[in-house]
Amino acid sequence: MKKLFLSCLAIVISLLFGALILWLMGKDPVAAYMNLLQGSGLMHKVKYAGRQSMFTDFMSFIDAMTPMIFASLSVALALKGGFFNIGVSGQMLAAGIAAHMLSGVIPSRVLVVLAGFLAGAVVGALIGWLKCRFNVNEVVSSIMLNSVIMYLVTFYINVFYINPVSRQSKSIADAARLTLNGYRWENLKMDIPLAFPLAVITALFLHWVLERTTYGYEVKATGLSPKAAYYAGMNVNRTALMTMTLSGALAGLAGVSYFCGYLAAIQPGVTPSMGFDAIAVSLLGGNNPVGCVLASFLITIISKGTVYMSSRQHIEPEIASLITAFILTFAACSAVLDRRKK
Amino acid sequence: MSEPIVEFRHITKRFPGIIANDDVSLTINKGEIFAVLGENGAGKSTLVSMLFGMYEPDEGEIYIRGKRERINSPRYATQLSIGMVHQEFRLVSNYTVAENIILGLEPERKFLGLFPCVDIRKANHDIAELSERYGLKINPEDVIEDLNVASRQKVEILKMLYREAEILIFDEPTAVLTPQEIKALLFVLDGLRDYGKTIILITHKLNEIKAVADRCAILNHGKLAAILDVKTTSTDEMARLMVGREISFTTEKTPAEFGDTVLKVEGLTVKTPSGYDAVKSVNFEIHAGEVFAVAGVSGNGQNELADSIAGLMPCSSGRITLNGQDITHASVRERINAGIAYIPEDRHNVGLVLDFTLRDNFPLRQYYSPAFSSKGVISESAFNEHGQKLLDRYDIRSSQGNATITRSMSGGNQQKAIIAREVDMQTPLIIFMQPTRGLDAGAVMNIHRQIVAERDRGAAVLLISLDLDEIMDCADTIAVIYNGSINKVAPASELSVDDIGLYMMGVKKE
Repeated sequence: MKKLFLSCLAIVISLLFGALILWLMGKDPVAAYMNLLQGSGLMHKVKYAGRQSMFTDFMSFIDAMTPMIFASLSVALALKGGFFNIGVSGQMLAAGIAAHMLSGVIPSRVLVVLAGFLAGAVVGALIGWLKCRFNVNEVVSSIMLNSVIMYLVTFYINVFYINPVSRQSKSIADAARLTLNGYRWENLKMDIPLAFPLAVITALFLHWVLERTTYGYEVKATGLSPKAAYYAGMNVNRTALMTMTLSGALAGLAGVSYFCGYLAAIQPGVTPSMGFDAIAVSLLGGNNPVGCVLASFLITIISKGTVYMSSRQHIEPEIASLITAFILTFAACSAVLDRRKK
Repeated sequence: MSEPIVEFRHITKRFPGIIANDDVSLTINKGEIFAVLGENGAGKSTLVSMLFGMYEPDEGEIYIRGKRERINSPRYATQLSIGMVHQEFRLVSNYTVAENIILGLEPERKFLGLFPCVDIRKANHDIAELSERYGLKINPEDVIEDLNVASRQKVEILKMLYREAEILIFDEPTAVLTPQEIKALLFVLDGLRDYGKTIILITHKLNEIKAVADRCAILNHGKLAAILDVKTTSTDEMARLMVGREISFTTEKTPAEFGDTVLKVEGLTVKTPSGYDAVKSVNFEIHAGEVFAVAGVSGNGQNELADSIAGLMPCSSGRITLNGQDITHASVRERINAGIAYIPEDRHNVGLVLDFTLRDNFPLRQYYSPAFSSKGVISESAFNEHGQKLLDRYDIRSSQGNATITRSMSGGNQQKAIIAREVDMQTPLIIFMQPTRGLDAGAVMNIHRQIVAERDRGAAVLLISLDLDEIMDCADTIAVIYNGSINKVAPASELSVDDIGLYMMGVKKE
């Protein structure tokens, strides 16, 4: 309950800071924030283009939110087990490219999900193994792996897999894409995120695993106090390795729902910022899987609604990243506050 | 003639729940080696820390060279030319010897007559000279991390001398040294005295005091027990004063009835991660219905002994058998299943997951068993009922019952929770490591009763404690550990406190 209060406090303070900056730029903060909601399909816009409505905006919003849920779950699980997985971006890229490669052979949505899961798990396991075997700090190894994976993927795309017109990778086959693009219903045209139900189910399942299984109990004990976990007869290394593997797998699911769903292609030379935003989301959600879904909803409003806001208010879209950064800062502060109060 | 340099007058220092120093008055003369002797927790370090400005006394005054001083910081103590070598060395490990010594007092020179910079050449030269003069052989250009413990200690001593300290305080300087290094250190101390330095030596090793000290103050539970002239006092007498006191048998206990052997330890040797033999081929047996207590001064291998029997540390040689089953190389979990309960010394980091609720801490060592989970799924109701049962049965006070976050509880109740958890497992062997450290008298009594109750149930109890009262109170058999070896094993009725003290100090050996 107190965690929820602190999270809300972090959001309110951040929004006030954002409002202050908007006001200093001579803009109307209330109108700007309303534009965020309108852009996310949560409020009516003044007018819509043909075949579009608030509902189609909302579906696009859900489409953007889906990978964020997976990514924040990945961070949350790792944090529960005592790891700071800052390598979600790299794991997402690895999963994305693996799924793209596989779908070129057999275009199947199930295989895309599976490939993403496995590719992410392999990267996560590598980080966990380095930690257990050689005591390599996971923050260092995962940041380094972010670069390694990004450049490998860039190399692969530029040499073998480039779409010369868009300067991006080739697009994934429609039969393998996790979002139904431009689906027609009544007189509307919309995107349907097929992975969204999976994201929500995964969140609930992860919550159950953490609260109700012996594995979840081991994860939490190992994360909070490795010495006590060892004294309790737990296999601390195996638990840690398992946790990082699963965290990587969740990041992999984020990767496929992003690069093979929300987007259809991978841009070479770019690390997705979602992996870092996911840290803010996870902290904001109190590292609780259900909290992560709620926090993803909120952060996606800011990131998704910003396009509409910037066009309406003539503001740089970076203001959205700025507000997200404020939230990260205050959420981190509130995490410390929460711990100190005990 | 002797001229007083340090004077403590009626010093009292209190910490929450404990009086560390109770009306202590003593005078230390210039140019003598003055030893402060006492058991763990007798208040030696506290008393001397006040001289170095780490604490201030609650009552009483300190006089330095006849002048009353309020020493409120180590910096001020240094100005009064007081220096201290702490038990934990305070050195920058990737700096050289000279750089460490001059830190804060760097000799300067002007580069190109303009830019100030550290004159390291002069520092090296000065320190080489200094170490030559006091017989502390060391190369000023060596890097600290390449040096062994004894050399690092020399650096600490040189640091004091470089600051022209006249009063040198050593807090348990020999605890980390080998016998040969100890000999060398004592020789250095002797030399420093000849240069007119005053040395205050905190220790609980009697033969060292006998070897170098002129006079010695004995502290006992914060009170000054005696000030002795070392030359004319025997070590036996010192040991007696150090531990001697009224022993009150507060725990009622029936005569023990020993059953079969439960735990058998043969030739157990345990290496620390740094490769040092902390426990050296120890042998003993514990029977059902016996409280086997291990007495000893802290750091003589007790932790390693307990951890290796519980499986938290590997044994490098020897054999451990529990009820005839060889468990020498069994994992922690296999030992729990074989029937070893363990109350560890560090209740915050080892015994409990402090951020767990009480309910989640209770099954910490059993959660995987069929009583608490099946096929990897935890039974909420089993967790809840077990928690409630222990709360009621062992009178654990918590603000929100089962849901209390363990960190928010008092130390006494945290310990109660650990003991409840372990005792409730009803194992054939139960290990109590320092079970009452830091607890108040009521809680101590309660735990002693539980120890005896466990024995009466027919469990073999291994009690390891630094507190002699506790050992005298609970033990049926007493073993004394000194320097990793067990010096003496005897029925409790055959050993007096004075005897135990002598064995603890390594003065007497089997």
